[in-house]
Amino acid sequence: MWATIVTVCTKELTDHLRDRRTAAMIFFLSIAMGPLLLIGLTQFISSVEKKAEAREVFVEGKANSPQIVNFFARQDVTIKDPKPDFRELIKSGKHDPVLVIPKTFEEKFQTGTAEVELVFDDTRQDAGNASIGVLRRLMRGFNGEVSTQRLIARGVSPQLVRVVDVQDVNLGTAAQRAAGLLFIIPWITLLGCVSGVTAIAIDVTAGERERGSLEPLLMNPVSRAGLTTGKWLAVAIYGLTVAALTMCGFALTLNFVPLPNLASVLSISAAQYLGFAITMFSFAPAMGALQMLIATYGRTYKEAQTYVSYLIMAVSMAPAIGMLAQFKDATWQLFVPMLGQLMVITRILRGETVTAMHYLLPFALNTAISVIAVLLISKLLTKEKIIFGRA
Amino acid sequence: MIEVKDLRKQFGSVKAVDGVTFTGKSGAITGLLGPNGAGKTTAIRMIGTLIAIDSGAASIDGIDVATDADGARCACGLLTDSRGVYTRMTARENIRYYAELRGVEAARSEKTLARFVDWLDMKDILDRRTEGFSQGERMKVAIVRALIHEPANVILDEPTNGLDVMSTRALRELIKRLKSDGQTVMFSSHVMQEVAALCDEIIIISHGRVTAQGTTEQLMEMSGKNNLEDAFIALSDVSQSADAHKEVA
Repeated sequence: MWATIVTVCTKELTDHLRDRRTAAMIFFLSIAMGPLLLIGLTQFISSVEKKAEAREVFVEGKANSPQIVNFFARQDVTIKDPKPDFRELIKSGKHDPVLVIPKTFEEKFQTGTAEVELVFDDTRQDAGNASIGVLRRLMRGFNGEVSTQRLIARGVSPQLVRVVDVQDVNLGTAAQRAAGLLFIIPWITLLGCVSGVTAIAIDVTAGERERGSLEPLLMNPVSRAGLTTGKWLAVAIYGLTVAALTMCGFALTLNFVPLPNLASVLSISAAQYLGFAITMFSFAPAMGALQMLIATYGRTYKEAQTYVSYLIMAVSMAPAIGMLAQFKDATWQLFVPMLGQLMVITRILRGETVTAMHYLLPFALNTAISVIAVLLISKLLTKEKIIFGRA
Repeated sequence: MIEVKDLRKQFGSVKAVDGVTFTGKSGAITGLLGPNGAGKTTAIRMIGTLIAIDSGAASIDGIDVATDADGARCACGLLTDSRGVYTRMTARENIRYYAELRGVEAARSEKTLARFVDWLDMKDILDRRTEGFSQGERMKVAIVRALIHEPANVILDEPTNGLDVMSTRALRELIKRLKSDGQTVMFSSHVMQEVAALCDEIIIISHGRVTAQGTTEQLMEMSGKNNLEDAFIALSDVSQSADAHKEVA
């Protein structure tokens, strides 16, 4: 049995690695994933920070209120004129928010409450919306200054209207704030573990059927379980390689590429890398086994690809569903492949406590998936429909 | 020796093999002759342990294929119409893979391979990747990997299907050589000349049943015809069912 497993595994790996283009593509993408993601995230975060810190705001009708212009100038804020069609541009995400001061502002300002408009589109998640906060803070400051002056002019202490002084105390660490975006890292790496083994998983199952090599293979006096285990082992080794390369990509990027914004929030220790690796290493082989099982039903490579694509879709949708349903980290998630891994890796990246349970439960589950899938495939390989059912 | 007793197999309502009994004697070539869809392939797949037997029994050198599938697989070499090879591997690697799966020692399998390479004239293709191999070249690889463990019994299902004259001739020579080595050879075909030229015994199968068996001469005598083709038509159900058809009409 062991000899069969080794023979089959060696053959499948050799055979598949000779498909140079596919293998090179998969390995290159795995190692490039870390750098691409991290550099992309750095760019994004720094553009958000720049916008938030930027002392530049767009104001329409600055001639209508010299006071506001004066106040902004004293806060070291540069006022820029928006483009004439800024409302349309904001809708299409091509313009930053704009403060609109109407013509009637001065008149109303002298007599009572004046109005300004803050034009933005909150359905846009881009960095530009960071300047809404800046504009709001500025206008709050302006409001405070003018009202304080008016109260003092009437001999009233400004303290009277300041019953409660709200101070911001943000308990989220910088790392946690960044982790809001960092969910992308586990999501993409885990997805890489799944789609990285698709080609070989299909090749060793549906590929055999399409080629017409399954029937003669099964004529050899070896157990179906031995054959399947050998094939799965090849797929698992391939998956582990993809996972290891992905990890290397991340580690190298974090250690050797200057990432000013991420370095502070993403200081991953050796222990955390280990946790990351354990999670991925237990996930990749199980996903390989699952894809092999699905692909065994395919009479051709293409047919199998269609079936497997549904699994990949489900796996890639998992985090989105998690976010929409607002799952809080809960133990039950550990029992769901992908959701569990996402949770554990996100916890690691956030620097939250990760216990043995976070590794053992998914590991046990993934092992069970692999074993059951291998047994089911072995069983399928005795079915006449599978052995002889050729397209 | 290959022995088949009252073998039956049904797919849904179709009786593919309906009580077939025959023997493939040691050191002889037995031909299974029958029209397409007669049940030859199904019978061969049952003997080859690829399909479960509904009822009846098949044995290879006394090994029951149902109870000791691995033993039967060791005792015979089977070439079916699935002749897929791994295209990213060379012919030699394809063959060596099967030798390793069968646990044949490397030195021994190399020796066997060398003999086949000589017989089937495979020198030029042996270390080439099988991508783009012709049907004949693929058949050669498939047959060598099926026989790399030097089985005493050889079963070939329509081995000459789709082959050109040269490959067919090479295969015919191989079958004769296997026989002269004392191996039991059984092959199915629907090509009369081939069967007539090679077989010591011919079994005619039609509609899942054995309708006649014997040497070429015996079959001609039985049917009263002077060539195998006419004898085959007379002895297989085909003509009878055609007659029955006429009566109904």
